[in-house]
This record gives sequence, C-alpha cells and structure tokens, in this order.
Amino acid sequence: MKLRQNATTALALVAGLLFLSPVLYSIWMSFQTAQSYYRGGFEFSLGNYGTAVTKFNFARYLVNSIIVSGMVTLVGLAVSTTAAFAFARFDFKGRDLLFGITVATLMIPSHITLIPNYLTLARVGLLDTYAGLILPAISNGFAAFFLRQYIRGIPRALDEAAYMDGARPLQVLWRVIVPISRPAIFSMGLYIFLGEWNNYIWPLVAVGKEDLYTLQLGLARLYSVNPGEGLIDWPLVMAASTITILPVLFGFFLVERHLVRGITMGAVK
Amino acid sequence: MSKLTPYLLVAPLIAFIAIFTYVPIVSSVDLSFRSWNFMSPEMPFVGFSNYARLFAWDDFWDSLKVTTIFAVISVPIRLVLALAIASYLKRETLSSRVLRGAMFLPTITSTVSIAVVFSWVFSTDYGLANGLLTAMGLGKVPWLQDPSVTLLVLIFINTWKQLGYDVIIYIAGLQAVPQELYDAAAMDGGRRFQVFRRVTVPLIMPTTYFLLVISVIEAFQIFTIINVMTRGGPAGATDMLVHLLYRTGFVLFDIGTGSALAIILFVLLIGLALVKARVLGAKVHYEA
Repeated sequence: MKLRQNATTALALVAGLLFLSPVLYSIWMSFQTAQSYYRGGFEFSLGNYGTAVTKFNFARYLVNSIIVSGMVTLVGLAVSTTAAFAFARFDFKGRDLLFGITVATLMIPSHITLIPNYLTLARVGLLDTYAGLILPAISNGFAAFFLRQYIRGIPRALDEAAYMDGARPLQVLWRVIVPISRPAIFSMGLYIFLGEWNNYIWPLVAVGKEDLYTLQLGLARLYSVNPGEGLIDWPLVMAASTITILPVLFGFFLVERHLVRGITMGAVK
Repeated sequence: MSKLTPYLLVAPLIAFIAIFTYVPIVSSVDLSFRSWNFMSPEMPFVGFSNYARLFAWDDFWDSLKVTTIFAVISVPIRLVLALAIASYLKRETLSSRVLRGAMFLPTITSTVSIAVVFSWVFSTDYGLANGLLTAMGLGKVPWLQDPSVTLLVLIFINTWKQLGYDVIIYIAGLQAVPQELYDAAAMDGGRRFQVFRRVTVPLIMPTTYFLLVISVIEAFQIFTIINVMTRGGPAGATDMLVHLLYRTGFVLFDIGTGSALAIILFVLLIGLALVKARVLGAKVHYEA
C-alpha cells in the first residue's frame, strides 16, 4: 500500500515535470553558452545573466517591475480596504449605487480604456513616468468587493466595543478590521501584485523610454530585436525570461495555498 | 461620527475608478464619432463613418473570424481536458496536490515569458517540437510561418497556460458535490463511466457554464502571445480582435476607427459578462 502510494506520487511528479518541461528546459538553457547550445553539448556559464544585466539593462527592468507592481499593490490595497470598510459597515445615501459602480468594473474589459487613458496621461504629461504606469492599474473594484464580503463576516460587536472605548472610524479600521482581515488582504495583495507583474499591454502603450521598461517589456523587446531563424541568441533570451519568471516561481512555492484560495474564491464565490 | 466619514473612505477608490474606467468609456464613444490621428489640431465629428469604415474593412471581418475560430476550437478542448483531469485530481492526496501545483504554475507565469519560451519550442530549426518530429523520422513543420497551423499553435499554448486554472475551478466544483449522491449511484449499480455521465456531468453544469463564459471572454481578449510571437501574422492568420485594436490605434494611429472597434468589443464582452453574472446567480442549484 505504502509502496503503491509512493509509486503514484513519483508518477505524478514525472507528469508534472513533463508538463512544465518547456519552461524548465528554458531555465536550463539559460545557464549554457550560446556556442555550446548551437554546437550541441553543455557548457555551464552565468554569462547570459551578465549580458542581460550589463548589456541589456535587466537589473533596471527588475527594479522597475518591483516599483510598479509594489506601488500598485500598496495603493490598491489602501484604497480598496478603506472603501470595503465603508461598504461593509456604514449606512449612507448612495452606498448601493457606489458599490454597484465598483463591482461593475469587474465586467468592463480593460481594452476599451486603452486609447482614452493614453490620451488622458498624455494631456497631463504622465506618459513615460512611473505614475503613468501605476495610476490606471488601481482602477479595479475586485479587491474592494472581495474585502467587503470578508469584513461583513466579522462580528460587529468588535467594532462597537472599540467605538465604546472612544476609537474613531480609521482607528477601528486599523486596529480591529485590518488585523482580523489579514489573510484576505494578503490574498488580495498577491493577486494584485501578480496581475501587475505580468501586465504587458499597458506598459507597452504608456512607456517609450527604455529606462522605464518593466521586465515584460524588456523581455519582449530583447526577443524582437533579433527575430529571424538562427540569429536569435536563445540562451540569452532564456536568461532574460528566467529573470522575469523567477520571482513569481519563488513566491509561488512560499504562498501556494493563499494564492490558489484567492484565485478560486474570486471565481467561485 | 461625521456623516461625511463613509464618503471620505470610498472617495479615493471611486476617484480612480471614475477617472480611469468610466470617463474613458464615455470618451471612447465620443472618439468613435471623430476623425483623429494623434497629431492634427482638430478632431472633426464624422458621425458613423468610422463604424462604416470598420464594417467595410476586410481586416475587421478576418479578425472576427480568427477570434471566433480560436474560441470555438480552444474552449471545448479546455473544458473536456480540465474536467477529465479534475476528476482524477480531486482527491486530497500528495500526488494530486503535486500535479495540481505543476498545472497551476503556467497560469501565474508571465505570458511574455511563455510566448518567448514557446517561440523557441516551435522555431523551425532549433525548436523542441521539430526536434521530436525529426527524432521520430518525420519532416519539420514551419509552425510559426505556415498560416494554416499558426493559430493552432497559439491555441495549444493558450490551453497549456490556462488549463491549470480550469482544473482548479472544476476541482472546487467537484468537491462541492455531496458524496452521498455518488454513493447512491454506486449502490444502484452504476458503472464508473455511467456515474460520471449521469451524476457528475449534470451536477457540475454550473461550473461548466462559468468556465465556458470565462474562456470565451478570455479568447476575445488575447493579445500578449500574438504581439510577442506573430504580430498577427503570418498573413493575418492570428490577427485577433484586441491585436487589431492595438494595431489600429497605436500603429496606424487611426483613433476614430480604433475607438469604434473598442466600442464593438465592449458591447460583445459586456453581453458575455452579463451571461456570466446570470450563470453565477444560478450556480449552486444542488445545494439544499
């Protein structure tokens, strides 16, 4: 019985590796020299990473991606949590309408905003800036919707006890609601961060200056500067690709459960 | 407590949503009735002529056709594969958790990276796919140069990327089906496949509808793999709707026609999203 269980686990592992083999092989390839790749054989080298960082500025792109995704996550969580708190705990005129407007953003395909947002940012001079990359991405009601559902599940008695002690609304939010909602906020943070990390079409439109490229943009440009059979330095491209996916892979192994829960909750509930 | 408090709490989010989602919808409608190229100082009102130009444009109909073909082929494949895999992986054993994790990874991996990696897999001379074919004694296929196969290659890649998500959602659905129903069906002497067909498939229908609508919506929004791998080619074979929108607005600089296309896409996708909302409302009909 034990043996059989181990055998199925091993089989599952093999199947999983096979499924992921294109990506795994690309990581493997990134550690070999272009010469050895095209000649056949394997020559270990970190040279591709060196080239990606020195000749192609991928360290800068990595920093840009961290800044942009990090800011979108922080600001997004801040405005979503305060709004969710109000939607869950206050009775006010127009609440249902405002909540409806928030939830409806889930249905609106972002591509309709592409041209107008480009024009808006051009008008206020925010194209080719971090702010131009960050601000439009915060216009998303999903986290507020999700957190409102979560906050409604927290007993009101806890808020009332705090108000009785003389707390003000923001203090109740910060001292009572946020600590209890930490798992939900964490899930939403991951969800926002990942979505923004992998965002491609908006940076493509909003950024022309090379030193504001995010990893996605840098990788796409690196790949497209040398298209055409045989001319591509595949090991170099794969090193850049590995830099782009590795933070997500690490994060995945750290927080797999939270992530899956956040994503399925969003879909099923 | 001031009456203003809740308004102040929602104001920042509402401001972002208003500026970057709702105002743009209105200005898209406005721009779709104007003629503009980013440069000229005026943007004259031209009525419906952008829509007329779009409907007379072969690229638009080709793009609609390609997008529809993509959805019609890829969605059923995804659903069938995902349900089959989910019924194997629904139990909470170590092996099924390992496989679920592996299948889920591509859904959170950068689409640009995936596009680059699969450009290598399907490259004619050095790629994995042709390497395997050559090893089996077969000829090479120009995967990304032959208009009749390139769309299929993109469907394959997209299926590979999204399958893990479908599987996770199906597993959540399958785990919500009460075990007693299976037990009762088994007691009645139902064979495994019959139980699957008569019990599982009907009960899981709400999840299937949900995934169906989600993946059709997704098919209508595919952009990144096209932009990185094919630029809509070869010969327009992969020029799907959002890619055409990008091309019209940001390559041809035809803001009016691009906006008209955005409005059409918007109406299509909102229609689908409303279907999804109705389905979600009717989702858990087997719960007492």
